[in-house]
Amino acid sequence: MVKSICYTLAAILLCLGIFIYAEIFLNRQFEEFSNALDTLYTKVENRTATPEDGYAVRTMWNDKKSKLQILVPHNDISYVDYWLSECCGLLYNDEFELALGKVEVLKEIAKNLPQTYSIKVENIL
Amino acid sequence: MALIFIRTTIIFIVLLLIMRLMGKSQIGEMQPFEFVISLVIAELACIPMADTSIPIFYGIIAIVTIFILHQVVWLLQLWFQPVKKIVSGKPSVVINRDGIDEFQLKKNNLDVSDLVESMRVAGYFNLDDVYYGLYEANGSFSALEKEEKASTSLPLMLIDRGKPDKKNLVRCGFDRDKLENFLKEQGAKLKEVVAMTINGEGRVYFQKRGEKYKILNMEVRGKW
Repeated sequence: MVKSICYTLAAILLCLGIFIYAEIFLNRQFEEFSNALDTLYTKVENRTATPEDGYAVRTMWNDKKSKLQILVPHNDISYVDYWLSECCGLLYNDEFELALGKVEVLKEIAKNLPQTYSIKVENIL
Repeated sequence: MALIFIRTTIIFIVLLLIMRLMGKSQIGEMQPFEFVISLVIAELACIPMADTSIPIFYGIIAIVTIFILHQVVWLLQLWFQPVKKIVSGKPSVVINRDGIDEFQLKKNNLDVSDLVESMRVAGYFNLDDVYYGLYEANGSFSALEKEEKASTSLPLMLIDRGKPDKKNLVRCGFDRDKLENFLKEQGAKLKEVVAMTINGEGRVYFQKRGEKYKILNMEVRGKW
């Protein structure tokens, strides 16, 4: 009986710990990614962005991706991969106007994706 | 992650409610919440295994949630008696000294043929072989049997809650007129009959709605 209660409490505490860690971790990772995208956006807007800037954001994302895959469905991650690759390709060809649209989409994804995992009624139902 | 916990909890509660509403006929040897767990856990284990786009952590969290819910329900049942009644239900006495309790059968979504089947599985072939028959909370059938069993011949169901079994009626040599005459003698209409069985020796179990059962004798065609 005592053993069962201990196991249950341990499981509840473990879950709570994971939930809090996952919430903080996800928000932090996407916040950093969002900041990098903001910088890239400004550069693309000023037409000073180089393909290396795009690759730098992609390297940063790849680094985060390996950790995020534990917590985020892989389809959501491949969605970011797709838009980021398109953006890098456009920067390579100096197509700043088109690249700006892609960065805008990425910024929206980085802003909204962590929200889809937060505890909200619309996410639960 | 917390979303998975909340969603699993909601699904668990909804399934538990549905299983309780479906009555004992759907459970079979398990407490309702145990049945819900068996239903859910197999699926929870399979989805992250088969779908590689879902992190395996999602499956693990959902399974741990089920474990927590199981433990919580078990502890609540242990500490508070009313919770046990709500979650697991209570035994239903479907046969008493007056015969079949139709209300209890209906409450558990069962009919007389289900009851007869459960009785046969338990080793009782006549409806009056037992003083009391009850469905436990886990759906199994228990009975307080009579010292002497009624007969050695297999009874056939002729009327089950107002519905005649035409095949069995023909087998026993009952035609429409004979059945109507019999019902007239008993002062009952067909839809008022809860159960009527007859065995190869002509021993009839007859129960009219709202009345105690009667044991009668009739002539039957052939033996079985």
